[in-house]
Amino acid sequence: MKPRQELKGIKPRSRKDKNQNSNKTAAIIFVLAFVFLSIFIVAKTNTQVPAASKTMMFFLSPFQKSFSWVGGGVSDLKDSVEGIENLQEETTRLRAEVEKLRAENLNASEALSENQRLRALLGYKQNATQFDLIAASIVGRDSVTWSSVVTINRGTLDGVADNMAVVTELGLVGHVVEAGLNTSKVQLILDPRSSVGTLIQRPESRVAGIVEGDINNPNAPKMVNIPKDADVKVDDMIVTSGFGGIYPKGVIVGKIKEIHNDEGGLLKHGIVATTVNFEKLEDVAVIVNSRETPPEPLPPVLQTAGTELDAEEVAKQLEHSKIIQQEVRDSVKQAQQLQLEQAQKSGGGTAN
Amino acid sequence: MNVILSWAVLIILMYAAQTSLLPYIGYNGVSANLMLLLTVSTAFLRGYRHGVLMGLITGILQDFTTGSFFGCSIFSYMLIGLFFGKFSDRIFKEQLLFPVLSAPLAAAMYFFIVTGLLFLIGYKIDFLHMIHTILQPLIIYQVAFSWIVHKIAYDFHKLTVKHGIFRS
Repeated sequence: MKPRQELKGIKPRSRKDKNQNSNKTAAIIFVLAFVFLSIFIVAKTNTQVPAASKTMMFFLSPFQKSFSWVGGGVSDLKDSVEGIENLQEETTRLRAEVEKLRAENLNASEALSENQRLRALLGYKQNATQFDLIAASIVGRDSVTWSSVVTINRGTLDGVADNMAVVTELGLVGHVVEAGLNTSKVQLILDPRSSVGTLIQRPESRVAGIVEGDINNPNAPKMVNIPKDADVKVDDMIVTSGFGGIYPKGVIVGKIKEIHNDEGGLLKHGIVATTVNFEKLEDVAVIVNSRETPPEPLPPVLQTAGTELDAEEVAKQLEHSKIIQQEVRDSVKQAQQLQLEQAQKSGGGTAN
Repeated sequence: MNVILSWAVLIILMYAAQTSLLPYIGYNGVSANLMLLLTVSTAFLRGYRHGVLMGLITGILQDFTTGSFFGCSIFSYMLIGLFFGKFSDRIFKEQLLFPVLSAPLAAAMYFFIVTGLLFLIGYKIDFLHMIHTILQPLIIYQVAFSWIVHKIAYDFHKLTVKHGIFRS
């Protein structure tokens, strides 16, 4: 008598087929269990597999660069259409902004001249910035916002290395977590795994805190660990403190948008509005060398198209201030040289 | 061999488009996840084993190159490939509507698996807020791109069967 399956016209599965199926099912379960455990081990130990990752990034980078180039065109087109739509509104707003900027430029000029005087008075030898920068473009980013890591088109061949800070002219972007040959992964300050040592820029405050990404609100990181009675106000500018060794001191991070008390009662945290618009981030600069800690920069003056006349004046003033700074630096060098010579004369050459 | 190479090129091109082109039309940092759609389509067309394999490949690609939380994509894509692959022999392969309708379900599964894993790792998750900011736009993008991705996957599937690389 034939089995029921054969009577129905279905070929019965042999023991070999059944064994193969159970082996494949076991393999799937094993891989799933292995991956599940790996998630927690990697999260706790922060393990990385650079060789595999770098190889994949190397082969993917030409495709990503091509698509990114196309995407840039699409983005420009989208911006142009949006720009036309908002033209009327923009003109009115710009007129008001020009007036406001004229007033701000007057204040900026005053601050600039005061800065020059103070620098000359103190013999302060530092320049405004002491960074060697490499320009880079973003060629890839994740499709959802669990994490905030982007890929840039510069790698070790361009001089980029792990843990280098990444900035734009507006402020801090993040740091390099993995430098490949021709591309690198940059962890943004919005990433929940990122933490940046910061200070409130206001001279009478100078409260320290840590800016870290918020997984629930990926566009607004939090400044945490602020004592409840600390002098922190809404609209306070935040700059990097330089602690930790990754980020140089004095790079602007953003400003405090809201302040909330923590559940424990002893601390509070601030919601930070970053100066960098991460949604429209396309070009960045990697700080490949920071020779010495720079002084804290002035907060950026917001300026948009339509204010070119004022910008020319500011550029002239800045050029003038650069010349003065150079003169001050030369005179400081001369004074140091004199001091050295005097020390050598009086100390019998021990100053060497 | 050529067919396998074609699949490899398809995956790489789709991944490059997902990470380098689609973010330009993204909303609030969220854009279409073509790797997820490709996994679901492969699972429908070729069964759960190929669905799991595609989930493994696309997950590895994503987890190694984006620098996100390692393993979350691999694990979630494999589970989703396994789940949708179970329906492979119950739908008509030519039917394009079913994969489109399943796109929101796949996006929701992906969202809850990953947020669940992040919660287990130790992050405080505001699920309601994240549903609003991540899941809702993700579903819209997935539905918008599901038809074209399934059409491409279906054409590649036919090519594969024609060349006798795998059984239909």
